[in-house]
Amino acid sequence: MARFIVGLGLWLSAVIVLIAQPAKPSNTDLIFARAVQFHQAGDLENAIKEYQAFLAERPDRSDARSNLGAVLARLGRYQGAIEQYNRALLLDGNNPGIRFNLAVAYYKSARVVSASKELEKVIALQPENPNATLLLADCYLQMGEYQKIIALLSPYEARYSDNKALAYLLGTALLRDKQVEKGQQQIEKIMRGGDSAEVRMLLGTTHLMSADYAKAAQEFAVAAQLNPKLPTVHSYYGRALSLTGNTDQAKEEFRLELENNPNDFDANLQIGVILKQDQNPDEALKYFQRALLVRPGEPNVRFYIESVRVGQGKVAEALPELERLVKDAPDFVEAHVMLATVYYRLKRKADGDREQSIVNKLNAERQAKQPGAQEKP
Amino acid sequence: MKLLSLVIITIISIAVSGQTRVTYEEVALQASGISWVHDNGRSDTRHLPETCGGGGLFFDYNNDGWIDIYFVNGGPSDFYLPKTPSKNALYRNNGDGTFTDVADKAGVACGQMGQFGMGAAAADFDGDGWQDLYVTNYGQNVLFRNKGDGTFADVTEQAGVGAPNWTTCATWFDYDNDGKLDLFASSFVQYSAKGSIFCGDNRMGKRYYCIPRVFKPRPSFLFHNEGNGKFTDVSKSSGIANSLGKSFGAVATDINNDGLMDLFVANDTVANFLFVNKGGGKFEEIGLPAGVAYSDSGSPRSGMGVDAADFDGDGWQDLFVANIDQELFSLYRNEKDLTFSDQPGEIAQATRLLSGWGLKFFDYDNDGDVDLFLANGHPDDMVETQVSKVKYAEPLLLFENNNGKFKNISAQSGDVFAKDFPARGMSVGDYDNDGDLDLLVINNGAAPLLLKNNGGNKNNWVGLQLVATKSNPGAVGAIITWTANSVKRQRLKTSGGSFLASHDPREILGLGPASKLDSLEIKWPSGKVDKLTNVPINSYVKIVEGEGTAKSVAGTAKK
Repeated sequence: MARFIVGLGLWLSAVIVLIAQPAKPSNTDLIFARAVQFHQAGDLENAIKEYQAFLAERPDRSDARSNLGAVLARLGRYQGAIEQYNRALLLDGNNPGIRFNLAVAYYKSARVVSASKELEKVIALQPENPNATLLLADCYLQMGEYQKIIALLSPYEARYSDNKALAYLLGTALLRDKQVEKGQQQIEKIMRGGDSAEVRMLLGTTHLMSADYAKAAQEFAVAAQLNPKLPTVHSYYGRALSLTGNTDQAKEEFRLELENNPNDFDANLQIGVILKQDQNPDEALKYFQRALLVRPGEPNVRFYIESVRVGQGKVAEALPELERLVKDAPDFVEAHVMLATVYYRLKRKADGDREQSIVNKLNAERQAKQPGAQEKP
Repeated sequence: MKLLSLVIITIISIAVSGQTRVTYEEVALQASGISWVHDNGRSDTRHLPETCGGGGLFFDYNNDGWIDIYFVNGGPSDFYLPKTPSKNALYRNNGDGTFTDVADKAGVACGQMGQFGMGAAAADFDGDGWQDLYVTNYGQNVLFRNKGDGTFADVTEQAGVGAPNWTTCATWFDYDNDGKLDLFASSFVQYSAKGSIFCGDNRMGKRYYCIPRVFKPRPSFLFHNEGNGKFTDVSKSSGIANSLGKSFGAVATDINNDGLMDLFVANDTVANFLFVNKGGGKFEEIGLPAGVAYSDSGSPRSGMGVDAADFDGDGWQDLFVANIDQELFSLYRNEKDLTFSDQPGEIAQATRLLSGWGLKFFDYDNDGDVDLFLANGHPDDMVETQVSKVKYAEPLLLFENNNGKFKNISAQSGDVFAKDFPARGMSVGDYDNDGDLDLLVINNGAAPLLLKNNGGNKNNWVGLQLVATKSNPGAVGAIITWTANSVKRQRLKTSGGSFLASHDPREILGLGPASKLDSLEIKWPSGKVDKLTNVPINSYVKIVEGEGTAKSVAGTAKK
């Protein structure tokens, strides 16, 4: 749903930029007018040629650069679009429309973190921009930043109480942040409009959070049936299936999610984990690397990538990143285990022993927090 | 014409496969006289010990040449008072396919307060030629000395091997090569009925068995056999107690071929232990450096059953550990430098949704290499309500060793492999003395399974009864090397392995189609080497350390 709104916003903003520029009676302006005509008629290749010809004469025109970016984006040439939008912003840095389009181009090319940064700037310029707000919330969802979504959307909750997209995003964030009661209030809000994929998705998430995987899988299955294009529906269905032990079908659901959105973080990560277990490390690595693109620096993904390398015997190759990882995430026990293993395999016993003592300490701390810690011998 | 050829080929292949297939047949218990049923004491409170038993084993308690059976039951404890007496059973093998329970007469029925049984391990700890029995309990363990007259005496207190609270698996081995069998006992978590923790669903009002993660770990026990009926607790001085675990299966093996027996111990929710024997009575725990402590994703798993054998014939002991569903089981190939690499191959896919307990490497078809049997079952009886693809009762699995690669042959190995069981303990032995290895599976809260091997003895074999004079009485650590049809094979006599069980102490050497044994050599733990020739095949022979001769004993199979 959020993506539909975003797509509409992109088109409108490009058109607004086009209309906003008054025509000037010169040859150069005629080129620009032709470019806009081609653009509106959907003759995108000719529009590109005309915009480029115009910009050769008038490189200072941010509107033309932005339009060229919009055409390139429509053709799926997002890298080119990003370049044009960025150059347009050098000329007109306070234009929220161009920045929004740049954010969309980042979003569509899997650079969700970059998209979120641009959207934050758009909202700083236009605090009441609903499309930017919902798209930013969607970015945060993909980044796993549930608390940021809650902070972003909660102020709008009362004002847009009938907005299902908002309720869906906020409800999802609340549930994934384990604020189940508040999340259920959002579910009820959506349910007032009758059964829908969004409702089932949220119900599934509730069951997933309470570790009732079989019921979660049932709800996600219905959600996927009602709207197979609902963002993350196959990913969450896959995750629930995986937890019920149905790895084969889970793999299929993750693949379906990636058909909808090749940049879905969870689908990439989970399919990588299954492939790793299936003793298919090369394929697993591709998915982990894609997940890392969506969430750069994500410790879990970095860990999985290096654990695949260790499994392939590339221990020296894995060492630097594992050393960085334990610095970034000092309580990540599994990373310390892997680093200790690497040191031992490289015959660096003292370093291995040091890491193992960290592992033992962290494990003892975890154990001490368990409910049976006070049991006396 | 083509059709005719196809039919002929099909008929031939059916005939050939029909000739060579080895299957396991479920022995009808009633007809065999076995009426014992495991009492797990399952309660609404779901106390953890309820789901961990039972155990049992094959051993010859009366030295009549026929392998008997001992079963370990749940019993009275701080969380369970059986309505009817819950006892262990000792089934004397009558030699005709039937058994008689003589536990009460023999004095090994247990059933006293503090004896909620787990498993047992048999061995001749005092070297008098009679197999003794060590029973592990939630409560206090019991050592029964075999008096040689069909009865046993409880010598736990004098021996000092009570190992209180909760131990699971026990393994007899001679860690200091002094010729006496020492004892390792795996400690599981710190547990008491009073300290029971609610693990379950408050909304549904249901309790589940807790994941052992929530309970405190404990050190395991190592007892040194002083040779005078007494043992010294060397858990601390040996280094064993430095590692706090939640230990289940344990196997004594020699991972670095230094002649000192090491220990591989599975742990539930904490890292597995690999105790390498440094000599001088000291052990060093090297699980992490060796690569057998954690999963390949750096996580501890729910290790339950273990075993060790040289499955790839390279002269180095490899390891196996079974875990809970979705954690995958591990087959660790020995890299010959105190490290191991996990190469489960086909086993991984076949066991993805299973939880493994009893397991053993052994040569089911007497072709000379070790195959692998797995007995499975999920510990949570309500798992199906949570995880739809995982079942409480699970199938047994048999893998055949094809040049170091394991192939799942369960579907072709008998109807029993199509059924599901809540399996726990498992023992391997030749109860009918026909020269192939049968199986005993103990099911939690249900009747056990006695599985008869049909056809394993179509290949030729030699059964060895090793009688030590200087080495430990179990000949644990002996290296057996044999050649038949110019194929040389070697086997280390390990101890323990599987889960809550020990095994037929005899060794059956598979010869395949070879009609004679070219050579046989026993390198005893004492260092003595016996070289034997003209050993009769398809029969059991007794080999006495230092005598260099093989004398026929009871039990010659008819092929």
